[in-house]
Amino acid sequence: MASRVSLKTKGKGKGGKVSKGSDEKSAAQRLKEWSTWAMKKAKVVTHYGFIPLVIIIGMNSEPKPHLYQLLSPV
Amino acid sequence: MAGLVHPATTTIPAEASKTAHTKAEEKTDYMNLPCPIPFEELQREALMSLKPETFEGLRFDFTKGLNQKFSLSHSASMGPTEIPSQSAETIKIPTAHYEFGANFIDPNLMLIGRVLTDGRLNARVKWDLTDNLTVKANAQLTNEPHMSHGMFNFDYKGKDYRSQFQMGNGALFGASYIQSVTPHLFLGGEVFWAGQHRKSGLGYAARYETDKMVAAGQVASTGMVALSYVQKVSEKVSLASDFMYNYITKDVTSSAGYDYILRQCRLRGKIDSNGCTTAYLEERLNMGLNFILSAEIDHRKKDYKFGFGLTVG
Repeated sequence: MASRVSLKTKGKGKGGKVSKGSDEKSAAQRLKEWSTWAMKKAKVVTHYGFIPLVIIIGMNSEPKPHLYQLLSPV
Repeated sequence: MAGLVHPATTTIPAEASKTAHTKAEEKTDYMNLPCPIPFEELQREALMSLKPETFEGLRFDFTKGLNQKFSLSHSASMGPTEIPSQSAETIKIPTAHYEFGANFIDPNLMLIGRVLTDGRLNARVKWDLTDNLTVKANAQLTNEPHMSHGMFNFDYKGKDYRSQFQMGNGALFGASYIQSVTPHLFLGGEVFWAGQHRKSGLGYAARYETDKMVAAGQVASTGMVALSYVQKVSEKVSLASDFMYNYITKDVTSSAGYDYILRQCRLRGKIDSNGCTTAYLEERLNMGLNFILSAEIDHRKKDYKFGFGLTVG
């Protein structure tokens, strides 16, 4: 029991130190991770959504074209 | 002393212009110089005349306008495509592509998107925030990881200067500036920093143009020296020549070409110091119907590329 307690406190102490260290770094590191995550999501959104965005903007511009004009070759 | 001279020259043209027109033309108004062309288009006359978009095989482009501002484009191409090879001979594999595109062109906003059958997207956005500030974005996105590129440009246009700031993926940053020095001479410079390759560079550019000719030169610390000269012989004919030299790798390429812009067609041809001759013909068969022929013969590598195509709309 005592050994287990001491092990736990050791673990906590180490964990505490590690978490303090990662808190210090994580301001810059967190920003970098979030910006990488955001760029990856932005890339997927742009890849699938750019052409539909252009089509939506175009179909809503004046004078409004009809839906069949999108598909017919005339 | 130069500062004392200039105010006098700016006040004189206002009075003397009515009586002595030629005198006013000789005295340049340094307060009202024209706005220069963008830095990346410095050598555009030479580029347009000497580097047409040659292709190999069949090409068919159909552009359908739904609106004044909105249009869809369908493009099919079939032909051999070169793949990079280690040996000296060129390896070509036959490929066929279909490309769908959507364009929205407004005075303030331009959106152009093209998507290929293998999922590659090519997107261009140009947004005029104000009269002077423009935001441009350019992206080539693929399904393969780490092969996508994107670039943002912020352009500011002043009275007689232009400046631009670029940001790209892979920590690529660049800035450029071009200024009118006289009504005919424009000078500019650029810097860039590539974080991924840990490279930085500096470049200078100059352009001298008159009604009849354009001479442009660019020097960069990456070793590139590019000079070009275009002479407009008449309304229909331009002759262009180009010289590119890399002072680090000691590579030299020189080319000379012509550009005939006639009523029904546009014919461009050039010959290179690498033993490569190119010709490109665009013939207008009818309103909205263009016929294209492209030929590129590389005598040194024995690579012959011929292409034909039709553009509708």
